[in-house]
Amino acid sequence: MKSKDYYEVLGIVKTASDEEIKVAYRKLARKYHPDVSKEPEAEERFKEVGEAYAVLKDPEKRAAYDQVGSQAKHGQDFTPPPNWDSGFEFSGNGFNPNAGDQSAFFEELFGRQTRARQQSTMNAKGQDHHAKVMIDLVDAYLGAKRTITLQMPTHDAQGRVFIQDRKLDVTIPKGIYAGQHLRLTGQGSPGVGTGPSGDLYLEVSFKPNDKFRVDGRDVYMDLPISPWEAALGEKVDVLTPSGSVDLKIPAGSNSGRKLRLKGRGIPGKEPGDLYVVIVIVTPEAETEAEKEAYRSMAKSFNFNPRKYIKG
Amino acid sequence: MQKNMTQITEISIVEDEVHMSIIELCHTINIEQEDLVAWVQEGILNPIGNSPEDWRFSGDALSRAKKALRLSRDLEINTPGVAMVLDLLDEISELRKQLR
Repeated sequence: MKSKDYYEVLGIVKTASDEEIKVAYRKLARKYHPDVSKEPEAEERFKEVGEAYAVLKDPEKRAAYDQVGSQAKHGQDFTPPPNWDSGFEFSGNGFNPNAGDQSAFFEELFGRQTRARQQSTMNAKGQDHHAKVMIDLVDAYLGAKRTITLQMPTHDAQGRVFIQDRKLDVTIPKGIYAGQHLRLTGQGSPGVGTGPSGDLYLEVSFKPNDKFRVDGRDVYMDLPISPWEAALGEKVDVLTPSGSVDLKIPAGSNSGRKLRLKGRGIPGKEPGDLYVVIVIVTPEAETEAEKEAYRSMAKSFNFNPRKYIKG
Repeated sequence: MQKNMTQITEISIVEDEVHMSIIELCHTINIEQEDLVAWVQEGILNPIGNSPEDWRFSGDALSRAKKALRLSRDLEINTPGVAMVLDLLDEISELRKQLR
């Protein structure tokens, strides 16, 4: 297990005041918050920052961490000495409710923290659970049966918390797209008393794909073509997520031109569109004949591609 | 807790097929009703219906409510601030769309 230097994560000195910790956290949280950030790996960084703040803002945890956790250098292997935490009592209030987001280092120090239940009534619906799943774009086009594996924190008979794999057969409905949620009725926590079980919500996203980009129900793909296909027009065979399509490239097309295939995006009551974006690929002139072809083009055309750039 | 394969009986796309009452939405993302009422008053969510007991939230409210919860909790932003951030995020995504 790798140790973490929480001070380094927040970019502050070990003697930082509570106010300085808060300011450093807020600044980084705004920078890396997954809902607003466009930084690469924002989500990972945000978790790290949140974990560091959860420890350092709490005087008890900070004192415990200063005594033991910060001895190890950032990134080194770390095992806390036995009984290191005797004498510290954690009040454990209001921690980040994303149980399962803490690093192994955090858990070794403070234990795994699960979300407190807020139920007072005798009979109540069980807690709803939330998870994220990644699916293939083609599954959204056709629908699919998939087995997904979720990791969930569970208690054993002694009340210890451990991670259990849970497999679920899920029918992915045709027409779903990234950002939407699937509700699996009754697959959350068991109810209290005679209350029904909670539900499981799966937030769907698409697996990264080299060929297709998705925006809501609309799908974008690049189509490489040759300069003569672009200039003269041509019928080409395009492999779309919903199968092969004969696409007519209009004569005089240029790179960046978008050809819309209406209704060939993600299906639904109002299906999305598929946009084929033209990318002209220029062949290299290697043989003498190829070079000659380019030279004769130069002679035939009165063409200045830079006419809009005043030299 | 189920250890083995479980057969799912009922599955729905929340955004397309589900409407929620204030009780259901609060239960789903684990917040107090008074917080949700404050969000509606601020215009973060727009349910149909006149009083909180009659409110019906469309499925889209789930993503928006989750986002509002993350922003208020993680960035320690108050309700008017959350409303403004969400409006600006909507505007950014609208502008991005026009850029395509």
